[in-house]
Amino acid sequence: MNTVLVTGQPRAGKTLFLIQFAAFLNVQELRLHVTAPGEPTHILTLPISRARAELVDGADHKTRALQAVDVEVPVRKHVRVIRLTDTTGLSDDIHQEAAVREAMAQTLRALRSAEAVLHLIDADRAGRDGRAIADVDREIVRFMAGRGPFSVLASKMDLPQAPLGLERIRRAFPEARVIPVSSVTRLGFPDVRRFFAGRW
Amino acid sequence: MAVHEAGRPPLAMPPSHPARAPRESRESFEDALRGLEEGRLGPARALALLREEPPAAGNGREARVAAVLQELDGLVGLRQVKELVRELHAFVEVRRRRAEAGLATDPLALHMVFRGNPGTGKTTIARLLGRLFREMDVLAKGHLVEVERADLVGEYIGHTAQKTREQIRRALDGILFIDEAYSLARGGEKDFGKEAIDTLVRAMENHRDNLILILAGYNDEMEYFLRTNPGLRSRFPIQIDFPDYSVGELMRIADLMLQKRQYRFAEDARAKLEEILRAPENQRLLSTGNARLTRNIIERAIRRQALRLVQQPTTTVEDLMTIRAVDLIGVLP
Repeated sequence: MNTVLVTGQPRAGKTLFLIQFAAFLNVQELRLHVTAPGEPTHILTLPISRARAELVDGADHKTRALQAVDVEVPVRKHVRVIRLTDTTGLSDDIHQEAAVREAMAQTLRALRSAEAVLHLIDADRAGRDGRAIADVDREIVRFMAGRGPFSVLASKMDLPQAPLGLERIRRAFPEARVIPVSSVTRLGFPDVRRFFAGRW
Repeated sequence: MAVHEAGRPPLAMPPSHPARAPRESRESFEDALRGLEEGRLGPARALALLREEPPAAGNGREARVAAVLQELDGLVGLRQVKELVRELHAFVEVRRRRAEAGLATDPLALHMVFRGNPGTGKTTIARLLGRLFREMDVLAKGHLVEVERADLVGEYIGHTAQKTREQIRRALDGILFIDEAYSLARGGEKDFGKEAIDTLVRAMENHRDNLILILAGYNDEMEYFLRTNPGLRSRFPIQIDFPDYSVGELMRIADLMLQKRQYRFAEDARAKLEEILRAPENQRLLSTGNARLTRNIIERAIRRQALRLVQQPTTTVEDLMTIRAVDLIGVLP
C-alpha cells in the first residue's frame, strides 16, 4: 500500500479533489478513515453522491482530521492500492483556534512519513492575486525536493483567472512538476492517475 | 560557537521575527510542532524546521511501522501481548529480508485466536495488527471487519454460506475478527454454525494471501471450541491470551480517559475509584467488563459531576475539570 498525502492551503480544493478523483477511479462509496488529532480512527461511509454535500463547503478549515480513502489504480497488469489522504489546510498565519493548530500539526506529522505528496494551489486565486502563493506552499515544495514523488496540482482550472494563476505557479516553482486540474471538469485527472501508476 | 548552558533557546517569539532554528534533531522538530499547536509558531516556520531535520532513518514505510509499534507501547498493561506483537513484526520483517536475499520462506500463516474476558484489549490489538500488517505490506488494506455469530449464521439451508461469504468478501485484504467465535459451535452438528466454520476454513485456503482470521472469546469457551474442532487449532498457529487488567492498570486507564476529556480526579475520587475496583463484590462485574467497564464508570461519573455542577450558580474551571468522590457513588450498575 502506498500513501499519498494531499496538502494545500485552506480552500485549495483538497477534499473535493479527493472525492472527485475517487469517483474518477470508479469508487461508488467513499469509505473514509477519519483520524482527528488524538482520536482513534473511525470509518465514515458515504455514497460519492452525498460526499460533496457532507464534506465540502466554502469555510476555511472544514477538514480538521486526516481523511483517507483507498483507491485502486491500474498499473500494467496489476492494480496498485493507494491510500489517498486529505489533510487540514496549512496557512501562513498562526490560527487562533487551538483545534485548527493541532490539526495543522497533525498534517505536518503525516507529511513527515508520507511516501508521495500532491500539493494543491488554487490557480484561480493565484491568478487574481500573485500573493496567494504563500510561504507555506514554498516550504512544502522545498521540503519535498529530492524526497518522494511529488507534484503541485494547480486546482480550479475551470475558473476564469486560473490560466494566469497556472503561469504564476509554474514561474514560482520551475523545478516542480505542475499538473493543472479541475475537480469540476476532471481536467488533468488522467495525468494524476499516471502519476500514481509511475515507478515509486 | 555559542553554548546554551540552560538548554535550547526558547521557541516562543513574535511571528514576525525570524525564528532561530533549534538544534536539528527529532526533539527539536517535536518542539516546533508543539510550538505550532500552542500558537507560538506558524506552519511555514515549522515546515522549515522539518526541512532542516535530517531525513529519518529508512523510508516512510519504516517510519509508519515504528509509529504503530510506538502506539502499541503506549497501551496500558498487556505486556505479553506486546511481546508477541513484536515477535510477529520481527518474523514478518525477517521473512521479507530472506525473500529479498533469495532464501526459502514459508507461507505466512497469521490466523490467530485471542482468548480473554471482554474489555481486555482484544479488538484494540486486532485493529493495531491490521495497521501493522498494512504498513508491512502483508495486507493491502489492513481494515478490521468485526462480526459475531448472527452476522455469519443464517436461518435456512444455504443462507449461512451466503452470509459468511459476504462477511469474508468485506474483510478481504484485511482482518475478519469473529467475536465470541465459540458460539459458532453452540448447536452441535446440526447447527448452521458448523456450515459457517466450514465456509471460513475454505476461505482461509482460497485467500491465503489476503485474509487474516481472528477468533476471539472467553478463555474456557475458546479452549472448548478448539478442542471440539481439532482441525481448527492447527490452522490458527498464533494464540494470544489477554489477562484481566490489574487494579493499578485500570486506574491508569481511568486517568488517561479523563485526561483525554480534560477532566481529572480529586484525590478523594481516586481513592474512591480504587475502593470500587478492589471491592470483592465487584470482582465478577469487573472481570466481564475490564477497561470497558472503567470507561462506563468514567462516563457516568462525568454525567453525575454535570448534575452536581448545574445546581451551582457559578463554576470555576477547576470545578468543571474535577471529578469528586461524590460523583462516583453508585456508578456501578
